Amino acid sequence: MYEFFENLQLQQGHFIRPLVAGTLVAIVCSVIGCFIILRRMSFLADAIAHSMFSGVIAGYLLTKMVLGGDAPLAAMLIGALLAGIATVALVGFVTRFSRIKQDTAIGIMYTGIFALGAFVISLDYFSRLIHIDIYHYVVGNVLTVPDEQLWLLAIVTSVVVGVVILFFRPLQLTSFDPVMAASIGIPVLAVEYLLTVCTSLVVVSGVQIVGVILVVALIISPAATAYLLTDRLSRMIWTAVGVAALGFWGGFALAIYSGGSPGPAVVVVMTVFFLLALAFAPRYGLLADWIRKSSSVPQEIMEDVLGSVLRSPGERVAITNIETNVTSPNMKIRRAINMLARQDLLEIDDDHVTLTNDGRIEANRLVRAHRLWETYLEQTGMSPVELHEKAHQLEHISDRATVDYLDDKLGHPIADPHGSEIPVDQTADSAEVLCSVLRDGDRAEIVQVGSVAKSTNLQAGALIEMGPRLENGKIWQVRLPDGSTCQLNHDQADAVTVKFLKNG
Amino acid sequence: MAGIPETEVHEATEAAVKIKNLTVSYGPVPALLDITVEIPAGKLIGIIGPNGSGKSTLIKSILGFVRADVGSVEVFGKDVALVKGRVAYVPQRGTVDWDFPVTVREVAAMGRYGKRRWWQDLTKADFRLADEALEKVRMSEFANRQIGQLSGGQQQRVFMARALTQNADILLLDEPFAGVDAATERAILDVLQETKASGKTVVVVHHDLATAAEYFDYLLLLKQRLFGFGKPQQILDPQLLADVYEGNMKVFAELAEITSSTAKSSHPGNGGAS
Repeated sequence: MYEFFENLQLQQGHFIRPLVAGTLVAIVCSVIGCFIILRRMSFLADAIAHSMFSGVIAGYLLTKMVLGGDAPLAAMLIGALLAGIATVALVGFVTRFSRIKQDTAIGIMYTGIFALGAFVISLDYFSRLIHIDIYHYVVGNVLTVPDEQLWLLAIVTSVVVGVVILFFRPLQLTSFDPVMAASIGIPVLAVEYLLTVCTSLVVVSGVQIVGVILVVALIISPAATAYLLTDRLSRMIWTAVGVAALGFWGGFALAIYSGGSPGPAVVVVMTVFFLLALAFAPRYGLLADWIRKSSSVPQEIMEDVLGSVLRSPGERVAITNIETNVTSPNMKIRRAINMLARQDLLEIDDDHVTLTNDGRIEANRLVRAHRLWETYLEQTGMSPVELHEKAHQLEHISDRATVDYLDDKLGHPIADPHGSEIPVDQTADSAEVLCSVLRDGDRAEIVQVGSVAKSTNLQAGALIEMGPRLENGKIWQVRLPDGSTCQLNHDQADAVTVKFLKNG
Repeated sequence: MAGIPETEVHEATEAAVKIKNLTVSYGPVPALLDITVEIPAGKLIGIIGPNGSGKSTLIKSILGFVRADVGSVEVFGKDVALVKGRVAYVPQRGTVDWDFPVTVREVAAMGRYGKRRWWQDLTKADFRLADEALEKVRMSEFANRQIGQLSGGQQQRVFMARALTQNADILLLDEPFAGVDAATERAILDVLQETKASGKTVVVVHHDLATAAEYFDYLLLLKQRLFGFGKPQQILDPQLLADVYEGNMKVFAELAEITSSTAKSSHPGNGGAS
């Protein structure tokens, strides 16, 4: 079907030529590919590859019909380039002036242009003139590279690599932040056209090797592989070049060894490289991701550990104790304890732990959240059996705003449904609080008396001491320095701002 | 800078941006109509207005991206089209590809791109400037991180560093507070204020009226036309806002908050307000 073995026999000892050609294509495709994937133009590269098929045919036919004789490669190349640029221009035009989105426009334009070429050469009148091996354009042929094509490749490679080196910063910046690029005077549109022309050149040269369909793989898969491996554009380009060269050599060797076609073999090898990177890339690989996720300690377990330490009797708590109280794998609990120690919330000595001051405050906050949730759930009518379990899930929702809301809605309760005391909020960073959060025996100085509480005999500046709450905690008792007491309801207690004075 | 009195004299110094009779249109309805305003140098300015009020167009005009139908924009006395690089743009968070293979230091160094010819490499001095800028925004320790591995506030800082490296005199920020948590908002505001303190003019597109008074020295109220430019107390006037926001109830709820909070905050200090 295709004279691979004949070629092989003919070209024994001439592998140098296809190797050089393939390596050049691999380099130039992967360099430009880095910019293509970062600008999300992969589909456009595909489109250029397909439409240039028509360009080649047009170039061939025109030279043949106008000049007679065989068409020079240059004519086909120019045709291909023009077709590529025409595709990009048409896509741009349709996207800009109609409601059709870019992916649709690309899909329509490249298939349309490709079909036009395919139709034309299927006509008898033209097919007599044309001697293009269509199969080569579909899967390419690296083994028979004529001199002029090798020259063409060398020129395209030097031009494109030269452009990327010279215009590296404009290319990088317009890809990353076009607005900033424009604001410092970089002609963003011109840079885009430059890149499009380079892409067309690269596609035209790549088609010789792997064909219309697979050239896109040569452009994007080494670049995508490098994208998973690096954090800098310059390194990404170098890595992509390396991956592409290795991929080409590997694929070529595979083809020779197995007697298969080199184009597809190269793409298969490159795809395998990509999959390997996807799985094993040190930072962005799936395996690394999985390890990171499984080795990180969920916040919930850390919170459970803290809560368990606070609830345990005594200051020093045995780690084995925590392991029985917290229902998570022991390994994770150990890691949580280590993490908490690193955050200075726990102190470890031997196999015991103690809460630090910060740890106590944090644990208090969690217990407060848990008990407020329990109180709230009880009010919603949840059965006592479910209560604890549900509150245990909900205590991890412990942000300030939520907990304060619950506290206020419940009328600043002192104890939860089981009768355990709800700890006061120790994390408040300002010393000023609402009178309603004060407990029996707390002393404070009044800062401001809101309008709701104006009817009481409380004055700003007065020193007060709280008495026990009355009527199921619905009435706040305030003792004034002159010995008199004053009773506040919830709204009034909320309206009085006080400066908390430490007890004793 | 000691000895310069902190009064009106200082404030009346120089206009960073001078916009005169600016009209910009994309179709039959102008996006901006007859805007005339002078944005003072060295201040923190908030641009506020309802959605589609031309805030972005105004930003683009100051960057020199749009052709004016009528009028002119001058940056420090020069036509905006002739000034490149004196205005730095800090993009909206959502418009940046955070997976882009670029490190914090490289982003900061991008501020120097405008100072070099396209074929010239950045010099050691350029990278030193980038490092200094990162130092200023307290991001030095992250210099070699890829930008996607930063928190929202840190990302904003990196772009502030880039603007500083650019050595621009005017910084334009498009909704820097959109979609960030309170702590990040605070952190970004700190950077803005530090930047202002270093003598830059900072112009911010902002949509939260409730915080506008607290954050900015001046407010520019925009809805196609210029509805007001001045101190926040002047601009956050119920009548003025009612004209611009046309009975948007949410705004009025916020407004009640603002007026009560400004009333509260105005009485202790600031006795010398004119």
